[in-house]
Amino acid sequence: MKTLARIIFITTILGFAANSAAQDDNEELKIAAVEALITAPPDRALPLVNKVLQGDNSTELKERALFILSQIDREEARETLLRFARESSGELQEEAIRMIGIGGNRDSLATLMSIYESGDSEAREAVIEAFMIAGDSKALLEIALVAAGDDYDEAVDMLGAMGARDELRQLREKNGVSEALIDAYAISGDLAELRTMAMDASDPDLQAQAIEAMGIVGGSEVNASLVQIFRDAKSDDIREAALEGMMISGYDEGVLELYRSTDDKKLKKKLLEQLVIMDSDEVWNIIDSALDGGL
Amino acid sequence: MTDDIDDLVASHRDNVHEAPAHLKQQWHAAIDSAAALERGRESARTASWRPGALFWGMAVTAALAVGIAIGVFVPDAGHDTTVPSVVAQSDEPAVVPAAFTRGLQYHFRDSRQQLAELDVDSDRTMMILQLIEQNRLYENAANKNNAPDLARVLRAFETVLLELAATDIAPEDAEALRAKLSFELNVMLTKLATESSDKSHTT
Repeated sequence: MKTLARIIFITTILGFAANSAAQDDNEELKIAAVEALITAPPDRALPLVNKVLQGDNSTELKERALFILSQIDREEARETLLRFARESSGELQEEAIRMIGIGGNRDSLATLMSIYESGDSEAREAVIEAFMIAGDSKALLEIALVAAGDDYDEAVDMLGAMGARDELRQLREKNGVSEALIDAYAISGDLAELRTMAMDASDPDLQAQAIEAMGIVGGSEVNASLVQIFRDAKSDDIREAALEGMMISGYDEGVLELYRSTDDKKLKKKLLEQLVIMDSDEVWNIIDSALDGGL
Repeated sequence: MTDDIDDLVASHRDNVHEAPAHLKQQWHAAIDSAAALERGRESARTASWRPGALFWGMAVTAALAVGIAIGVFVPDAGHDTTVPSVVAQSDEPAVVPAAFTRGLQYHFRDSRQQLAELDVDSDRTMMILQLIEQNRLYENAANKNNAPDLARVLRAFETVLLELAATDIAPEDAEALRAKLSFELNVMLTKLATESSDKSHTT
């Protein structure tokens, strides 16, 4: 009985508000009414949500209704979300796509792929984000394998954020190394792949980026590798990248080791500057020693 | 400074999982050297400019400059931290421990309150980034507590929070995002409360 009274109340508010959608005072009331639909049984809530979606209501109110739909575990709710994802445009379409990601239904998610293929850049971005929300790394890989430009970078970013190392490795095999892929490897913590790229001198810029990115992964293994890379480096750029990696990793002991083991005054100066930047505990002793002429 | 915060937001956008302890420690150490980096970086760098170097360098600079643990989540190389796929999740039994549900309700209430108190001054972004950190903890917990549906909602919240954290967002856009998130938090709070009273949970 209590539920019935609540439904009648919500219905009254939505009916009233639908006739005066332009009035700001009513907008808040309508949103409160839509919010209350989460407490209604699905059979009661669905017709009211559909009424909001079909009525002459603001985009904001319709977006709120779509969120309610995402929380209703009924086929009708999923179909409505799909319809809005396919047939609407702009913010409403993007929101419907987001809701499909939240819903996580595998059939609905599969449909997003066709929306991606035919959609504009905003819709494509929404689809990529929806797959991330759903945790669907396979779908993101599928997109990354065919995408280019911003879409590719976005999909790769999402895979990195999800820690989807297998998918990222497949991408490298298929598309080769790129800046976006190196960033994603670092974010996903795939040290083995980063190290391979750090040893590959065929593209010095990407090699340097991979060396720096190793610092993000960090740890004793990385630290030792970065010191070795610095020592073996054939160019200033690679040395700079190794130092950058140590700075990101916070490995001031390594920089200190390099400082103490070199007789090159110019390099010592650079390493000292780096130690100051890193706020190394040993830096004051080194400065003291340097001022005494005992470099 | 604004650029630095933007980079910090970008670093959050790229990161979803919790950092291993040793990495957090490294980042804390990096944070401590912020001021020094800000002072000395330009004069220290003499090599040619590389976009990658700038990205990582500024990401660290941002963390340093703002002085918070940014919770960069580089997953531990020895552990599988991949977000479970939607297919795998759908086969999980839907038994959610009551303790987790109560914790999540607290998180939603706390987030709602913080959003309501959000100011337009400079610490708005930092407050939101802290919310994101908290949100990620609950997302990980949701994955571990047979609640993939809640994990998806939490991931969706994070994308809105990241937009809200942007320093160049127009006030009206920020207000719209805040209203949207408040609505969704309210709905989830109500839903959890309703389910708690309708279902029996394990404890």
